[in-house]
Amino acid sequence: MAFLKLQNVDKYYGKLHAIKGVNLEIENGEFIVFVGPSGCGKSTLLRMIAGLEVINGGELILDGKDITTTPSAQRDLAMVFQSYALYPHMTVEDNMSFALRLAKVDPAEIQEKVEKAAEKLDLTAYLKRTPKMLSGGQRQRVAIGRAIVRSPKVFLFDEPLSNLDAALRGQTRVEIAELHRELGATTVYVTHDQVEAMTLADRVVVLRDGIIEQVGTPLDLYDHPKNRFVSQFIGMPQMNLLPADFLPAVAEGSAEVGIRPEHMKAVGAEGAALSGVVELVESLGNETLIHMKIAGKHQIIVRQYVRTELKIGDTVGVEFDASRVHRFDSEGLAL
Amino acid sequence: MSTTTVKKPVRTGKYTWNGAMITRTVASYGVALLMFFPIFFMILTSFKTELQAIAVPSLWIFEPTLENYTEVQERSDYFSFAWNSVVTSVGSTILGLMIATPAAYSMAFNPTKQTKNILMWMLSTKMMPAVGALIPIYLLCQKLGLLDNVFALIIIFTLMNLPIMVWMLYTNFKEIPSEILEASRMDGATLWEEFRYVLLPLAMGGLASTGLLCLVLSWNEAFWVLNLTSANAGTLASLVASYSSPEGLFWSKLSAVSVLAIAPIVIFGWFSQKQLVQGLTFGAVK
Repeated sequence: MAFLKLQNVDKYYGKLHAIKGVNLEIENGEFIVFVGPSGCGKSTLLRMIAGLEVINGGELILDGKDITTTPSAQRDLAMVFQSYALYPHMTVEDNMSFALRLAKVDPAEIQEKVEKAAEKLDLTAYLKRTPKMLSGGQRQRVAIGRAIVRSPKVFLFDEPLSNLDAALRGQTRVEIAELHRELGATTVYVTHDQVEAMTLADRVVVLRDGIIEQVGTPLDLYDHPKNRFVSQFIGMPQMNLLPADFLPAVAEGSAEVGIRPEHMKAVGAEGAALSGVVELVESLGNETLIHMKIAGKHQIIVRQYVRTELKIGDTVGVEFDASRVHRFDSEGLAL
Repeated sequence: MSTTTVKKPVRTGKYTWNGAMITRTVASYGVALLMFFPIFFMILTSFKTELQAIAVPSLWIFEPTLENYTEVQERSDYFSFAWNSVVTSVGSTILGLMIATPAAYSMAFNPTKQTKNILMWMLSTKMMPAVGALIPIYLLCQKLGLLDNVFALIIIFTLMNLPIMVWMLYTNFKEIPSEILEASRMDGATLWEEFRYVLLPLAMGGLASTGLLCLVLSWNEAFWVLNLTSANAGTLASLVASYSSPEGLFWSKLSAVSVLAIAPIVIFGWFSQKQLVQGLTFGAVK
């Protein structure tokens, strides 16, 4: 049985139907990532699980217990906020021990738990400092520490890395992954960064306009997107989409075909299935992205791992792996 | 090898004076002195005899006397009036904070579409002159047997200050990120614990300055005191008013009693001016 279960969950803001009957089952110990464009409802859904937003319809079940209307304080969940939301007037130690002190845990036990968490997060030297004396990365670790000392049933992360610079973000991402492996705690993580989603998740939930578009393992989503939206959302650069009549050989009754940039290859123009004009060449060292326009209006990107002599304005042919072609019907659903 | 030296701007004194700054400084001192002058003149007059007080032109050098102060003390019971002032202002401040804090909390952290309208409506009640409500309130107090009663003053002062208190606390609470309160809820805090351990320490400055301002406003309130009280519940404001009698004004005694009336709150204000200024400039500087 699922550990955390969302059953037909609804959220309204006045007339706006923000979350539209979402169903989701999360297993114990699973790392779930919610992704989607801004405004898709991913943070709202997380806050509904947290109890910070009222659930207007449906049920939320945690560990066999209906917690749809249970106040946040009694749900036994811990949350890491985007802004960290540390208590500015408390030291790191007090921030981390706050929940345990409220729960009237034995002081010796609190001390032990805080020290253990601080050690794990490399915060031992900062225990007596207040948040404003810490760097962004350290504050983020305190926020995580505050969550882990409690050993809650579920960890909730609301875009925890978006305020960090790129290098620190990468490093903290690895730390979160390690932490999850070590603690094995059920985690729900919201992000708009698909790299975070792909690297951290056991399963990714792709949301759009308050609806779940697809749930699956990161590679499942990458290899078998259920629709056009998911195919465009997962993968960087995006999957190339072309009207079916450009590739009648592989289209098989579809309205549109999609091919990932790495499954295409730039070749000589003669005899190629497709041909286009090079618009931009991005040489990243390890890979080269060739942007080209087909028939003057359809932009595609070819990714290759060998360097190229192609220049802007060159006419070039494109070959592709026919077994890796995705087909979508006129509604955008995968065939 | 060549080295580049960067010239640092040299500052000789603490400030570099220019014309505009001198004008501003002189102007602000001028305004401050202008505002302080009546108080200064009142203090001066309180140490004159009645004859010296009405002398034209005004005397600036004279032998000071304390007779006005002793006479005020003999003629009326200063401490009983002062006690009423303390009870009414402290009482109304505490009661006001108890009502305004939850009101501001709910409006700041759980706003609805009507929140702004409610705040404007509250403020609009301050636009009506107090005298407009005098007759109904007088009749109410009379019917309830609350004329010349400290309790009535506490209620009226509280209601009078409530819009300002809610506004001040609202702007103060608005500066606290709601995520911090949400974090405490996630940590298992009840509403009371959230208030006690998170909101209260963070909003202490705002609560203190709101309380202080209400204390000062209640202390100085004269209109309701003069109209609803006499000997029993009269505050220092009514003591001052009692020295303007039909037989004429006794300038030096009136000055002495006024000095006595404002002294406690001026001393109090002096020590808490930092809090007061902070409270009144909320939102101005982030």
